[in-house]
Amino acid sequence: MSPLAVIGGAAVVVVVLLFLLFRAMWRVAEPNEALIISGFHQDAVEGVAESLGFKIVTGKGSLVMPGIQRVRYLSLDANETELDITCVTTQGIPVSVKAVVIYKVGDDYASISNAARRFLDKTQDELEQKIKNVFEGHLRSIVGGLTVEQMIREREALTEATRRHSGEEMQKLGLVIDSLQIKEIDDTTGYIKNLAAPHAAEVQKQARIAQAQADREATEQEQQAEALKAAARRETEIKKAGFQAEMDRAQREAAQAGPLAEQIATQRVVVERTKVAELEADRTEQQLQAEIRKPADAEAYRQRTLAQADRDSRISRAEAAAKETELAAAAAAQRTKIEAAANAEKVRVEAEAQAGSVEAVGRAEGEARRARGLAEADSLRAQGLANADAVKARAEALAVNQDAVIAQQLAERAVDIVAAAAKPVGDIDNLVVFNGTDGIQDAVMQSISKGFAALQALRATLSVPVTGNGTSASPSPNSKERAPDGLGVGPGREV
Amino acid sequence: MVGKVGRVTGTIGPGRTGEVVISIRGGTEAFLAHAVESDQTIPQNARVVVVEYYPPRTVYVAPA
Repeated sequence: MSPLAVIGGAAVVVVVLLFLLFRAMWRVAEPNEALIISGFHQDAVEGVAESLGFKIVTGKGSLVMPGIQRVRYLSLDANETELDITCVTTQGIPVSVKAVVIYKVGDDYASISNAARRFLDKTQDELEQKIKNVFEGHLRSIVGGLTVEQMIREREALTEATRRHSGEEMQKLGLVIDSLQIKEIDDTTGYIKNLAAPHAAEVQKQARIAQAQADREATEQEQQAEALKAAARRETEIKKAGFQAEMDRAQREAAQAGPLAEQIATQRVVVERTKVAELEADRTEQQLQAEIRKPADAEAYRQRTLAQADRDSRISRAEAAAKETELAAAAAAQRTKIEAAANAEKVRVEAEAQAGSVEAVGRAEGEARRARGLAEADSLRAQGLANADAVKARAEALAVNQDAVIAQQLAERAVDIVAAAAKPVGDIDNLVVFNGTDGIQDAVMQSISKGFAALQALRATLSVPVTGNGTSASPSPNSKERAPDGLGVGPGREV
Repeated sequence: MVGKVGRVTGTIGPGRTGEVVISIRGGTEAFLAHAVESDQTIPQNARVVVVEYYPPRTVYVAPA
């Protein structure tokens, strides 16, 4: 074995060992990582006020002494967390918000230092959970500082609110919010729907107006077309009717032509016949003239002449007879006059005799009648006296017991009395009562009470002490009429 | 960090927390921004310059 070979072999081994050692000690930070090397004290670096104590390496490699220094990796990746909260906006409208936030550890030394001190040992999931809890609180306060309209419409307002509410805490944690986006806003009160309602209603209104307008115009045009159509139809119908009328008229004329001609022909025939008949009549008349009238005239003349002669003879005869009669009558008259004179004389004498006898008879009769009358008068007087006695007796009885007698008398005449009292009422055509049933009652009561008043009056009259004059106590129509006038009747009168 | 020019991505104003994007460490990073003069309002997309830096994530800017 040559020493050269040994040295060479040892040199190779040393190189390999060094390489392996280097490999074990050299750590490289990837772009999305930061190496946190602690072990040796680290001096202050630029941008940081005091010394960190540990070394932060980003973007390059570093030698780490194994055993003396420890190296940890802090991820500078962007993390995403979904948030889901229910909260109220600044106007108090309850909304349920879904958001997503993208954050990472800041790239400057201070942020990395803050984050390293807090999150180095945490896994990604734990970190995410912590950030979710913290950020939901932030989101609640962010939403509480905005209105629904701002959240929907103004991006600027949302990002500014995010910075304002969460900026400080994020700086404390060493984190940076790259993006906060609201995925969904859901409100249970229908506020968002109501935001849209006026606009939607306006658009709907416009649509309906346009539709109605178009409909109306179309209908107008349609109706105009209909009207024109109807007018055209009317024209044709009128023309057709006119032609039809002409045709009918021509047809009827043609139809009538035949009968018309017939009638004309018949008329002519009739006219000719009439002429013929006239001629016939003339002929017959002529015939009549010749056959009958002339001989008749002759005959008439004969008769007339004969009659005239007859008349003349009769006239003279009559004259003679009249004369005769006159003379006879004169004679008769004379005779009668004489007879009458004789009769008259006879009668006069008779009458005188008769008169004498009648006078005698009459005188006798008169005597008889006077005697009779006297007898009657006597009897009447006797009767009257008896009546008077009776009445006196009655009056006496009345004085003793007025009521019974009066009652009896009144009862006998009650019907008449009441009838007489009711007569005026019976003459009433129209009874107008102003106070209804009470009024009718009053009227009836008044009628009744009038009758009773009459009775009462009668009773009063009848109960006059007897002075011996029977007539004063007898009931008569006069007293009846007087009583009601004198007493007068009112409601509630005791009867 | 101080003196770097950035661009406003969230309006900076009194009572608001704005945002500026600054090109740094090979990439662009967003920082929470406030105006140096407290009553100033810097609108979006304005150019600003970093006047002060408070780690980890806050800068004070002035319009550039």
